[in-house]
Amino acid sequence: MEPWVVSTGLIFIYLIATVVIGILANRKGTANMEDFFLYGRQAGFIVLYLTVVATFHSAFAFLGSGGFFFTHGIGFWMAGTWTVLVGAITYTIGTRIWALGKKFGYITPADMIADFYESEAVRIIVAFVSVIFTLLYIQVQAQGLGYILSVATGDRISFELASLILLVVAAAYLMVGGLRAVYWTDVIQGIWMYIAVWAGSLVLTYKLFGGPVELWRRLMAERPDLLSLPGPEGFFTPGIWVGMSIALSFGIIFQPHMMIRYFTAASDRTLKILGATTPIYLMTLFIPVAFVGLGGALILPDLASPDRIFPELLFRYASPWLTGLILAGATAAAMSTLDSILHSNMTVLTRDVYQRYVAPDRSQRHYLAFGRWVVVALLVVGWCLTVFNLDFLVTLVTLSGAGALQLMPAVLGVCYPGRRLNTAAGVVAGISTGLITLYLTKAVFPQPLGIHEALWSVAANFAVTIVVSRFTRPPSEATVERIHGEVERFVYGR
Amino acid sequence: MTPPRSHYLPRTRRGRIATIAFIAAMALAQPPIVHGLMNRTEPLILGTPFIFAYLFGVYCLMIGVLVWTLRKGV
Repeated sequence: MEPWVVSTGLIFIYLIATVVIGILANRKGTANMEDFFLYGRQAGFIVLYLTVVATFHSAFAFLGSGGFFFTHGIGFWMAGTWTVLVGAITYTIGTRIWALGKKFGYITPADMIADFYESEAVRIIVAFVSVIFTLLYIQVQAQGLGYILSVATGDRISFELASLILLVVAAAYLMVGGLRAVYWTDVIQGIWMYIAVWAGSLVLTYKLFGGPVELWRRLMAERPDLLSLPGPEGFFTPGIWVGMSIALSFGIIFQPHMMIRYFTAASDRTLKILGATTPIYLMTLFIPVAFVGLGGALILPDLASPDRIFPELLFRYASPWLTGLILAGATAAAMSTLDSILHSNMTVLTRDVYQRYVAPDRSQRHYLAFGRWVVVALLVVGWCLTVFNLDFLVTLVTLSGAGALQLMPAVLGVCYPGRRLNTAAGVVAGISTGLITLYLTKAVFPQPLGIHEALWSVAANFAVTIVVSRFTRPPSEATVERIHGEVERFVYGR
Repeated sequence: MTPPRSHYLPRTRRGRIATIAFIAAMALAQPPIVHGLMNRTEPLILGTPFIFAYLFGVYCLMIGVLVWTLRKGV
């Protein structure tokens, strides 16, 4: 049997399995918003662990990061920093978000932030940031899926059709089963992708080099530029290193699909264990990716598209069955993030926009139906973005992270009582300034002084938030007492 | 209304230890340390370039701090 038939067949078997899981989840679920949007706030450790790691790691882990090791060398191993930082953020901020969500019934990040700042303007700008930057993320995942399936089929299925097929499948099981379907499929996807990356990498490393030690030895002899900072093209300067660490930890956590996961936990203890242990999975996944990317730079130095290094090596040097299993794992990595983003955008648009401003007093069934139509619309928008823009994967992810990072002062103001309060005007001015600064330091004057745009934008955001908050009206005492009082009781028990 | 005390600084001894230990460990994986002193391939550690093994060790240390924090109930 030809290799492309095997790999394509395995991917389609995997896709069918995810749709079946979606249908099973639909039978288990109930037709209310908390169940459909938040898994009934009862996600236990194993389900939550695997959905968080599977959502965090995406097409980017399989494709973009391999391409980054290939191009910029060992500097990308700094990824370990942001993965561990994610655990610390979950432990400290995630538990507070959970406590407030449970107490006050929040469904979206905008629910929580707008409640504290008592402002519809805050709700709108938070919802805007939540949706606009995760739309970029839909594009990244759809591009990754398009790459994987078109490579797996030997370009017999075009990139455009491949991304459309996989978008439709993810949207289908989300529409059928809601967040329960997303979580259940993420469990499989999280296990599959981890095994796939390690297995594929080790097979390639032993087959091509005789093992990791020999790979390192050849790299030192033939490409020492890949083993030092800032890398062959001088990319990993100190300013970029720190900026990416912040953007891809705080920035991704503040995206709605990650924050909503905190609302769904069964208990704060679940989240604390999650915070302490998820970095093990997240960080160690980059070890085999390093072998693939760096090894690929020795084997296929002239590869035109570095993002394709993993599938290219598999097709040339691994058995068809293994290649198929691993590419299905890569599909799982991308789909587990894609479905979560579609879900969070559906939730934000339904809850923060439609229910709030368009049709406030309808039945829960009505909102669920509307949410499903939102998924269809997102599918179309995401696919159009995918087809008409083919930028480098990691750059896009970084921009997404830096965008959501602008919610940081607002979220900290809610979750961390302090001597000075942020105000609604301060938060709106801060986020606006942060977004403008992000655009300027990304597109107009790229990375001034070699410092990442995430740092420039979030620094400007904090400065403006603090200054404007000094001169504008803070939230009412009753609201501060209610919300900060709850945080105080949750953290210190009084 | 009496505002709650600031939450930006830990109040308990274990909280302070955990915070300082995590930040100190993270600093070991940041510039200038990682771009200066640790930016080298030798000595090899179990056949692995020094900078790769060093960063792996630091990440494990950071995870260790988080696990310690969990075990102590901070």
